[in-house]
Amino acid sequence: MAGIVKPPGAFAITPHKVSVCILLQIYVPSSQMSVPFPFSSVAQHNRLGLFLLALTKSCDDIFEPKLDELICQLREVCGSSNLWFIDHLTSRLSALSLADDLFNFFTDVRGILGGSEAGVLEDDQFILEPSSNLGMFLRRCILAFNLLSFEGVCHLLTNTGIYYKEALSSCPSYEATCVEDSSINSEAFLEYENMDLENFVFEKVTEEIEARKWASERVPFHLHAPKALFGLVEDIEVASDPRSKHSDKGREVSPYMHPPKDASRDFEPNSGIFLRTNWQIQGYLQEQADAIEKSGSSFSLNAFELILRRLHKLAPELHRVHFLRYLNNLYHDDYLAALENLHRYFDYSAGTEGIDFVPPASSWNDFGRYEIALLFLGVMHFQFGHPKQALEVLTEAVRVSQQQSNDTSLAYTLAAICNLLSEVGVSSTAGILGSSISPLTCIGISLSAQQQLFVLLRGSLKRAESLNLRRLVASNHLAKAKFDLMHVQRPLLSFGPKASMKLRTCPINVCKELRLCSHLISEFGSESSTMTTDGAFSTAWLKNLQKPLGSMVLSQDVGSGSNTNAFQFCAQPSSIPRSVLQLIGSSYLLRATTWEIYGSAPLARINALVYATCFTDALSSSDAALAYVKLIQHLAVFRGYKEAFAALKIAEEKFLSLSRSRILLLKLQLLHEHTLHRGHLKLAQKVCDELGVLASSVPGVDMELKTEASLRHVRTLLAANQFSEAAAVAHSLFCMCYQFNLQVENATVLLLLAEIHKRSGNAVLGLPYALASLSFCQSFNLDLLKASATLTLAELWLSLGSNHAKRAISLVHGAFPMILGHGGLELRARAYIAEAKCYLSDPSFSVAENSEVVLDPLRQASVELQVLEYHELAAEAFYLMSIVYHKLGQLEEREEAAASFKKHIMALENPQGEEDPLYNML
Amino acid sequence: MSSKESCKSELRTAIHQLSDRGLYSASKWAAEQLVGIEQDPAKFTPSNTRFQRGSSSIRRRFRTNEITSTPIAGVSYVSTPVMEEDEVVVGDFYLLAKSYFDCREYRRASHVLRDQTGKKSVFLRCYALYLAGEKRKEEEMIELEGPLGKSDAVNRELVSLERELSTLRKNGTIDPFGLYLYGLVLKEKGSETLARTVLVESVNSYPWNWNAWSELQSLCTTVDTLNSLNLNNHWMKDFFLASAYQELRMHNESLAKYECLQGTFGFSNYIQAQIAKARYSLREFEQVEAIFEELLRNDPFRVEDMDMYSNVLYSKECFSALSFLAHRVFQTDKYRPESCCIIGNYYSLKGQHEKSVVYFRRALKLNKNYLSAWTLMGHEFVEMKNIPAAVDAYRRAVDINPCDYRAWYGLGQTYEMMGMPYYALHYFRKSVFLQPSDYRVWIAMAQCYETDQLLMLEEADKCYRRAVKCDDREAIALHRLAKLQCELGRRDEAAYYYKKDLERMEAEEREGPNMVEALLYLAKYYKAEKRFEESEAYCTRLLDYTGPEKETAKSLLRGMRTSQSSFPSMDVEHFAP
Repeated sequence: MAGIVKPPGAFAITPHKVSVCILLQIYVPSSQMSVPFPFSSVAQHNRLGLFLLALTKSCDDIFEPKLDELICQLREVCGSSNLWFIDHLTSRLSALSLADDLFNFFTDVRGILGGSEAGVLEDDQFILEPSSNLGMFLRRCILAFNLLSFEGVCHLLTNTGIYYKEALSSCPSYEATCVEDSSINSEAFLEYENMDLENFVFEKVTEEIEARKWASERVPFHLHAPKALFGLVEDIEVASDPRSKHSDKGREVSPYMHPPKDASRDFEPNSGIFLRTNWQIQGYLQEQADAIEKSGSSFSLNAFELILRRLHKLAPELHRVHFLRYLNNLYHDDYLAALENLHRYFDYSAGTEGIDFVPPASSWNDFGRYEIALLFLGVMHFQFGHPKQALEVLTEAVRVSQQQSNDTSLAYTLAAICNLLSEVGVSSTAGILGSSISPLTCIGISLSAQQQLFVLLRGSLKRAESLNLRRLVASNHLAKAKFDLMHVQRPLLSFGPKASMKLRTCPINVCKELRLCSHLISEFGSESSTMTTDGAFSTAWLKNLQKPLGSMVLSQDVGSGSNTNAFQFCAQPSSIPRSVLQLIGSSYLLRATTWEIYGSAPLARINALVYATCFTDALSSSDAALAYVKLIQHLAVFRGYKEAFAALKIAEEKFLSLSRSRILLLKLQLLHEHTLHRGHLKLAQKVCDELGVLASSVPGVDMELKTEASLRHVRTLLAANQFSEAAAVAHSLFCMCYQFNLQVENATVLLLLAEIHKRSGNAVLGLPYALASLSFCQSFNLDLLKASATLTLAELWLSLGSNHAKRAISLVHGAFPMILGHGGLELRARAYIAEAKCYLSDPSFSVAENSEVVLDPLRQASVELQVLEYHELAAEAFYLMSIVYHKLGQLEEREEAAASFKKHIMALENPQGEEDPLYNML
Repeated sequence: MSSKESCKSELRTAIHQLSDRGLYSASKWAAEQLVGIEQDPAKFTPSNTRFQRGSSSIRRRFRTNEITSTPIAGVSYVSTPVMEEDEVVVGDFYLLAKSYFDCREYRRASHVLRDQTGKKSVFLRCYALYLAGEKRKEEEMIELEGPLGKSDAVNRELVSLERELSTLRKNGTIDPFGLYLYGLVLKEKGSETLARTVLVESVNSYPWNWNAWSELQSLCTTVDTLNSLNLNNHWMKDFFLASAYQELRMHNESLAKYECLQGTFGFSNYIQAQIAKARYSLREFEQVEAIFEELLRNDPFRVEDMDMYSNVLYSKECFSALSFLAHRVFQTDKYRPESCCIIGNYYSLKGQHEKSVVYFRRALKLNKNYLSAWTLMGHEFVEMKNIPAAVDAYRRAVDINPCDYRAWYGLGQTYEMMGMPYYALHYFRKSVFLQPSDYRVWIAMAQCYETDQLLMLEEADKCYRRAVKCDDREAIALHRLAKLQCELGRRDEAAYYYKKDLERMEAEEREGPNMVEALLYLAKYYKAEKRFEESEAYCTRLLDYTGPEKETAKSLLRGMRTSQSSFPSMDVEHFAP
């Protein structure tokens, strides 16, 4: 009842466990041969042992398997002599017809346990070590049986009867029909069978009683037991007359066996199903939780909800169910239900149940751990995109954790706040974050959001290190790396004369943090929970029994082979916990992003590839999608759209269910680029709008998406030659980026502004923007962007007049190594064209002498642009080419280039419109 | 009145029929109503007069309007019970079975009737079987309780009963009682729609079975389902509607119905208790107390609904009355959840929370779904500072009935106590959604918003305003609101609310620090507004109190006098030359 936390390990004896005990009895026979009687080889004997071990540990479901399932598995395991095993099992089960039989059975079973008091042991006698896993199991079963009241024994007996009968009735056809989908016919059929059985069993019972009576006459001091039993059985028979008994009892069992699918209630309590042990269920739930987090919304909401509801009904005190419901709802974007279940879970469990990171040894006070509830609530708000609420809740969590001096929770909360601050654009934290979090605010110094984030990050890291929370340390390192990547560090407090400081980001720091994160893999050992890995292992083993391979392996009697083969089945018993793998994986992902920003395309691609190939098993599908996105983007930039779209199709199939996901985003991005290049401006605008709609309307949330959308909007406007509108949008975008401290994006926006001015013919106005962008690129080490800015700068100089051509060409040449090494098709083509234009406009350059110097880059450019279907630039390239050919007097080539020019111009001016295949992709 | 007479004769027959079939609680209910009908003055017996005198005072006190209409009796209903015909001579087997049934040997009873075909026998057999299954289920529930609170015991007779009854219904050979049982079985099985239809059939053909009505009522969880029922217009329908309205928290409608019914059943204890229930929900404690006093005088060994009376006594802190009540119910029947609850309340009032928890636990052992015991136990745990247990108890109450706003409120309070105001707000919001007219919840919410951690004063302001609107009886809200306005720098509004608070305190003749505070603020405010006369009035009132405020008032007065005297003197100086 309320306030009393039940000990978790309570253990109830069920028919299935009785079966396992019978099998254990077979496994540990009394004979003293090296290979005991029913087994043909040592390997087979070992295999049964493994099977039993797996049965007690596996956590693949909440219910214990039914007898026919057990028989099925037994058939796989025992190979050739399976018939004997199954016969033995069923006959032993059917022999349990009186309560006394159960008592005797458990007394017998006790015999196979070796004990310290047993003393003299013969050398080759088989006994079960009481402290082994199987021995423990057996002892628990015996203990649970001994604790049963007489009513409990009666229930066990009836249940065993049902368990046995059910299997028998479905035995002839158990392979063909699943027990679940019983139609009315089969139900009737079952009923018929049950009726017969009923007769059969009762006849048998009375027979036996007769026999015992007879026996008891000879052994008078045992008289009391059979009499009582006899009276009991008689009582049953008196209670209902034979006619109604048949019609009633038959029904009594069957309809409840098979939950009617059509009824509004999805679940009828069933006397034939039993929950597994608490430990196994917890393992199952843990597995499911992992699965939900891994596959996100592709996890089936309702199917799992059904299982949970059933579990809740059968075990109302198992509060973890509510948490799983919360997770399920969270990943299916059901805010209200998630909120409700989260509160319910923490109300019931007080945060003390099943949370992994609560060290069990820590002093558990009476107060409960409600700060963890706050932490989870904050994370939930964050997930749903309510940054303000999340921050408020997390602040409260910090306060309560401090009050309760729960350092672990505090460390996690701080990390969550860091995460929140770095993900969500918060222009000012003043008034939201209390003074309790950072020491600096108490002195009365107001910090900008990013400074505050920096302080928090450092504090959080230190705290995690001192508490030895390895995973948290690693994720903090990751967060730090992210911060270092995006922000220039300034001293927080500067007194006196300004120390000389380097206003640059520090790639070495980023690298260091990333490396530190990866160290985790060698240190996780102490934290992993054995429960799930062990259980998962057993589950995998059991599942693989069903494969035909299993029996094949067994039928060969190679003693050593079958044991190793058994382990081979398991999908690589990876001993690294999933959460660790996930962290390491995300470090690779971050590396990819880092290289992308720093401008090394091959390194970015390699890291994304490593991620996508090595970590896909362990990772959440959204992260995996991100890796795919990076690879596809790479393809689009370097290989053109055709290949990118082909790859996209594969990715879409792989991540089918992720709505509003990165894949969709990627599709829109690719479409936008493509349409822009081909000159379908209307379509481009449409795609752009659609992109903007994906972002949340809450200010500060989805900043990445919002900047992306407006950047693309600007580019569309630019392509449509609406310069003033484009400039206005770009300005507002710049303001937004400035407000939310998005410096890296600012560099891009500035470059775009320069581009706008260049296109509108105001080269002089464009120059400062280009220079500003350059300096941004320098301080953030954005090498590729810097090269691109240099190129723009060169173009600007060039458009100022031919006397600047020399300067321009030196700029272009300066940027060439970077561009040719890492730049995409478009950038390279632009560089080539710019180079050619510089030469052409240079008065001191004569075409006739060095025609290849100009023609070669132009040819390169035209090839690359044709791959991209970038009509505008391609037309330019061909135009220049035809001019050069004209000057050289090569008329044939000139005509060819002119024809190509015409083709591209036509395509640009008459976009195909509605029948364009691109339309269908939207 | 003829309708009264017809009611009486209907009820008399019904009582016989119901108890013949072992439907004891329904027959008890019917008998209570029968006695509840106002007697003809001619037939007064001395005991009757005493009885009638007793309840008249309440009726005088609380019946505001004279009965406007007698209940629409039997408009479309012709009362011809046809059940008696099929067994003119009661069979011997039936008699044996009935006596077994009365001795609670249900299986035996149903066995005896195995070959009987009369409708009455069939019903008794089925009903006995059903009860046997229920009994076994209850036993199994305890036997089977697993480590994680598994409670999947089922009534094993349901399936066979459902088959038999549905065939009977198809054949058309089912009587209204059989329909009732069928409805019961269906409800237990979870097919609620069919259960509703069957129960409606049952009550339409035999309306005096209160059991059927109450089953039907438990199936009407929304107003829409209630309105969609196709019920004959019988006076029993009014009873049904009244009770259904109450469950749906339409207390005023329910009250109106009951008051109307009182026209015929003027002395029905049942109706009185139900009226008390409705008034309790409307928080009219005075009247509830009077009604219960009356009820106890007429029916001193009543245990039903007495837990509510104990709640009223608890909130009015009537130690002796509560102890008397506890003693009496204890002697009447100590193993009733209500009795345990009353005793728990008594200990709670005495401040002995551990003992109180013991009794609430016992109440819950007797009835696991006893809502108010869970909530009250939560309160006790809060007093004992056992936070997790309190949260657990409240949460169980809420999970049994998500409309229990008290438990939501309790949850909120608990979390607020732990210094988690933001988390607590979630629960207060839930509570206030269910009961928007309760000022305490609004005040609690406002306090959460006001805490140093949140400091969301605008929200707090809104909540206080709502509380003031909800007619806050303890007048906390006004004072707080005034204070808050003061903090927000809205001086005029602060003065307005202080003044209102003051008026209220004057009207209720309350004194205290709040009074002093209001006076002081108003004095200062008017002084600053240069309305010296008013300010002086407040200051002089302050002089009646001891403490530092008195000195402040004195200095204020002094200041005003000097400034007042200086003004004219200045003027004089100004104009003197």
